[in-house]
Amino acid sequence: MVEIFNPNPTIFAPVKPLKCSKTDSLWVSDPSDPRADGDEAESEELIDQDEIFDLIRSIYDPEHPNTLEELRVVSAPQITVSGNRVMVEFTPTVPHCGMSTLIGLSIRVRLLRALPSRFKIDITLKPGSHQSELAVNKQLNDKERVAAALENPVLVQTLEQSLVNASLRGQPAED
Amino acid sequence: MFWLGIQGQCPGQGGKGQGNAVACQSHRFLVSASYQYTIHACGSLSDHWREGSLKNISQGTMASAERLVTTWMASGRDEEVAEAVTEVSDGRLLGLVKALGTYLTSEEDALRTKGVDFLATVISSCPPNALNRQSVKVLTAFFCDKLDDTETIVPALKGLASLPPICAQGDALVIVNAVFKHVNMRALVQSVRFLVFSIIDGLIAHHRETLKEMKRAFIAPYIALADGEKDPRNLLVAFAIARVILIEFDPAEHIEALSNILFCYFPITFRPPPNDPYGISADDLRVALRQCLCAHPAFGPLAIPIFLEKLAAGSPTIKRDTLDALTACFPVYGRALARMEARKLWNAIKLEIFQPIDPTTEAAALLTLQALVVTIHAADDDGDAEEVKGLAHDACEECIGILREPEKSMAKPAIKVLCAFVATTPSVARYTLAHAVPHLLKLLADPNEVPTRHPVLLLLSDLIAAAREAGKADSNVISESSNDISESAPPLAPYKDAVLGALVSGVAAPATTRAALAGLTGLVSTPRLLSDAELGFVVLKVNEVLERCFEEGGADDSNAILKLLMTISSTAPTHVRDLTLPMLLRALPASAPPRAADAERTRYQHVLSALSTLSTPPPLCETLVAGLVPLIGALALGDSPQEDSAMPPPQDADDSEPAAAYLHALLATLRRTLAGKVDDGHADVAGYADTLVPVLYGLAVRAALHGHAGTPMREPRVLGVVGEIVGLVVQSLGPARQQTFAAALVPAFLEGKIAAICAAEHVSSDDRFLPFTADAPPAVRNLLVLFEAGVVPLDPTVALSADTSACAEAVLERGLAHAETARQAEAVCRVVGSIVNKHVDELAPFLEHKEMTYWAERVADPTSGPVRRREAIRAWTWICKGLLVRNHPRAGAFVERLFSVFGDADKAVGAEAAKAFGELAAADGVLTKRNKAVVKFLWAQKFASGILPRLMGGARDGSDPAQQHAHLIALTALLKAIPHAAYAHEMAQLLPLLMRALQLPDAQIRSGVLETLLASVSASLPTSGSAPASTPLPPSSSPSPALAEHAPALARQVLAHAAPPKDAPTSVRTRLAALRLLAALPAAVRYAVLHPARPAVLRGLAAALDDPRRAVRREAVDAREIWFKYTG
Repeated sequence: MVEIFNPNPTIFAPVKPLKCSKTDSLWVSDPSDPRADGDEAESEELIDQDEIFDLIRSIYDPEHPNTLEELRVVSAPQITVSGNRVMVEFTPTVPHCGMSTLIGLSIRVRLLRALPSRFKIDITLKPGSHQSELAVNKQLNDKERVAAALENPVLVQTLEQSLVNASLRGQPAED
Repeated sequence: MFWLGIQGQCPGQGGKGQGNAVACQSHRFLVSASYQYTIHACGSLSDHWREGSLKNISQGTMASAERLVTTWMASGRDEEVAEAVTEVSDGRLLGLVKALGTYLTSEEDALRTKGVDFLATVISSCPPNALNRQSVKVLTAFFCDKLDDTETIVPALKGLASLPPICAQGDALVIVNAVFKHVNMRALVQSVRFLVFSIIDGLIAHHRETLKEMKRAFIAPYIALADGEKDPRNLLVAFAIARVILIEFDPAEHIEALSNILFCYFPITFRPPPNDPYGISADDLRVALRQCLCAHPAFGPLAIPIFLEKLAAGSPTIKRDTLDALTACFPVYGRALARMEARKLWNAIKLEIFQPIDPTTEAAALLTLQALVVTIHAADDDGDAEEVKGLAHDACEECIGILREPEKSMAKPAIKVLCAFVATTPSVARYTLAHAVPHLLKLLADPNEVPTRHPVLLLLSDLIAAAREAGKADSNVISESSNDISESAPPLAPYKDAVLGALVSGVAAPATTRAALAGLTGLVSTPRLLSDAELGFVVLKVNEVLERCFEEGGADDSNAILKLLMTISSTAPTHVRDLTLPMLLRALPASAPPRAADAERTRYQHVLSALSTLSTPPPLCETLVAGLVPLIGALALGDSPQEDSAMPPPQDADDSEPAAAYLHALLATLRRTLAGKVDDGHADVAGYADTLVPVLYGLAVRAALHGHAGTPMREPRVLGVVGEIVGLVVQSLGPARQQTFAAALVPAFLEGKIAAICAAEHVSSDDRFLPFTADAPPAVRNLLVLFEAGVVPLDPTVALSADTSACAEAVLERGLAHAETARQAEAVCRVVGSIVNKHVDELAPFLEHKEMTYWAERVADPTSGPVRRREAIRAWTWICKGLLVRNHPRAGAFVERLFSVFGDADKAVGAEAAKAFGELAAADGVLTKRNKAVVKFLWAQKFASGILPRLMGGARDGSDPAQQHAHLIALTALLKAIPHAAYAHEMAQLLPLLMRALQLPDAQIRSGVLETLLASVSASLPTSGSAPASTPLPPSSSPSPALAEHAPALARQVLAHAAPPKDAPTSVRTRLAALRLLAALPAAVRYAVLHPARPAVLRGLAAALDDPRRAVRREAVDAREIWFKYTG
């Protein structure tokens, strides 16, 4: 058995799910009415922090059967989007967590796959939350080291394991 | 091959036990075969009969028996066996034996084998009453003799296998002793060993008492016989035998030997070979073995260490198997042993709960724990036993210790353990609750623990739910034994007040609302726990939270609150009616909030959705209608009370849309409630025909006649909802009541006698209301929707007028002639379609006219104008549909006419006729069973299968591009409308056509095609496509070859629709359908087929990730994820 860095982490209640912006509609739409889904004007909806949070909230922690959201490793306010730049900050559950790089890498892989390529993505540890913060940050944002890591089949398998339910976006997994 | 690995060694081997050595040596069973050719014994068979009574056998039969035997010896055919069986059944066994005589005693090995084999085959095929007692005895002796001969042992066993059901007690002894003496299992192949087990099994089934009396003389040799068996087929029988021996025989002195031949198989790691013809699964073996392991209490001390070892080291399957075995064994092994080993067992099971491998194993571990606790503490229930000692006590303490940190991840399994305890014995449940509930309450009360209140309340609600389930299980037990259900108090009763207080204060604090609601839901759904007054108190408190939810505009908690209120109203509706509904009705504004007031609008929408959710039970619905109708009345005519006040309207008076939208929302609430009631089959819906319906008709007519352009009740969308409400009510009327309604409705619209169906305060008999005339204003004509709503649900037995044909003609002609909007025309068409469907027998002149003149004049004649022609096609479609749905013979001729305009000079007319095929086959809200339409079973499938080949042929035929184009449109429209199963067999031909249709310019057609393709791709998956973007399933065993053939091209083509180049015509619906189709492909097509497309798809989907619409991006992300995981 590998060492477990935090055997009994705190579990937080999930954040309220993303509110759908329906308030601008004057008329009540009936979900049972198939005519309701017509496309009105092609108004543009920009990618915002909630959408990015939705992408990464259901990634599993490599150590526990909990999501990053439940462990408060990631949260919507820790994400900033400005233009083509995305900054994602995450908080490990304990300062000596050896899994931080893996968590960061899984966030990066998910965003690489799910965000348009025009974005530059920075993934960092929350300042002061980890004992080797600088090293981890450097590793996570080094393009070549990330690419090298993704050549490692064992590591990729572990990552896929973490990402297996990422598409749930905060919805509880069905049994 | 078909081998089963024997796991591990004999229990305790290498340990201290001395006795084990014997058992382990038993594998070295020596083959002591000194075969002697004892042919002389065989000769005695026919001699036996000579002494018997069967002496008078005619020469003829002898000859026939001899002929049979010699033929069989040469051919080995089944016919001779069958004939011989008849011979024997007729009582001529001796003849057969005589004929066989030389073979049975032949010096030649092969002949002897064959002879015995023939006899055995015949005997085993004989019906059970064919042989008499004497013959059985002789046959038994004969076959037993033959066991000693290596050449004849196989057929002899075969013969013996059929004897146990018919042999006498003495013969049984002979058989079993002979088998034990002569059979050496190691020298025999599987099928023969199977015969041996079958013989023993048969003897156990039919001569159990005899074998029991043998005691040691049976058990010990049997153990030697069964030792070392490895074939799963044989093991299934061996396990069944072992279970009988363990339970019914007296195996006390053989326990160790028996455990050696059973525990060596645990855990079963057998995996059946692919295409296993015997269909034995690992689970069959597991269950059979488990039944043995838990068959005798004396196994306990030997078994527990083995189980613990396997549990600690095994794979998930082994763990689960071990846990299931433990669960089955605890009650048998007994309390004393369970007590002694409790600590070790708890430590092992705990690990599976606190660090579970998977949820199934965790659930199995919890069940095992429950079995253990029940075994240990079942006897405690005699006294009141306030103090529980032993495992439950220790484990409880331990879990409560963990619960000191309720926010940590370990708290969850800890509460699961406690919940499992609650579901065991009453005393343990009492003890657990007595310790856990006060502990949690104390944490809640502790001001230092404020941040953890939410998790604590969640834990508490888990416990409440467990207590509720335990109480239910108890009351089931009680209700079986006696009727005093009401006597037993729910287990949570002692803490009711404190828990209720904690939850109510928790629900008031925003941070803990959700958890407290879960707890309250558990509390109110516990039978006999809360008093009526307490339920009222809960409703009152929850109302406050609901109000707060609406103030904050958050609907997050309101769903949970509504669920709680609905739980309460299912048992005590009065509280919700008297407290919640008035509160909600009060929260509705008297007039519509202005356009800019988003927050207020959202608020009333939430309130209304809460109202419609809660008001389904009859008394509540009455309150809702009584509360909403005055509001609707005040809003409908636009003269809101606001105008009387001195304050001027906040925005320009012309903007009537918010008022109409508010009215629409109010009516939609009524519609939702009534629809829910119709679904649940409530009887009180019909009652609204006399109250609600006249008011709504009255308001609509009054608004149309006397209102102005902005009157909210004139708004078509509002009228649409009114129509749906009327439809729901009329649907639930009986035919007699429908007849009175129709008698007033039809003259009201056709002859202007409108006052008869309207409430008197809105419409007087002087009002002129003639929607079917040319000079009717548009507002009046819009009310045709309400005519449709009243007519469509009528029963076929209801007469619309004296001359139905003329009535239909009038509706169609006068209605369509002046229709200004599509909705008006649609209402007319639907009415006609419904009348045609229900009254076709009275419509001969009408249909005659349509077939003879209408089509030629209105559709085929190009001078009648494109708009009118298209309208006539729509009317035609509905007439066709009315006929088609009831499989009427005239339908074919009507449909046929549609083809005649496919090549029309006006392309729009051809397209309209082509699209009609989709309309024809699609399900609609008019011709349904609920609307009492005559609907024949599978009519759409029948129609589609008839028309499909023709459409496909037309779509392939390129001689006339216009025809081909129309056929293609018709084909796509039809496929969109019918279920996939109706055209699945044609998929190979359809795919190229559909892919061509993807290039049609019409975005609606394209999205329709994409959706059709999606339906056919998901239908070819083993499980339905409901699973979200999880890992792509391995492709099904038989993916459609047509799909595989076209998949790469399809993927590339669809990709172009998913991420269209800039300025290309597209729609959200098309893009969504394309992305969903792309996401479905990997699961339906093998990787080897589709892998060349993967890089292109991944690149293309990267472009779709930047779609302007969020919903599209979401699908794109999911689809891309699936393609990333799509590997060989």
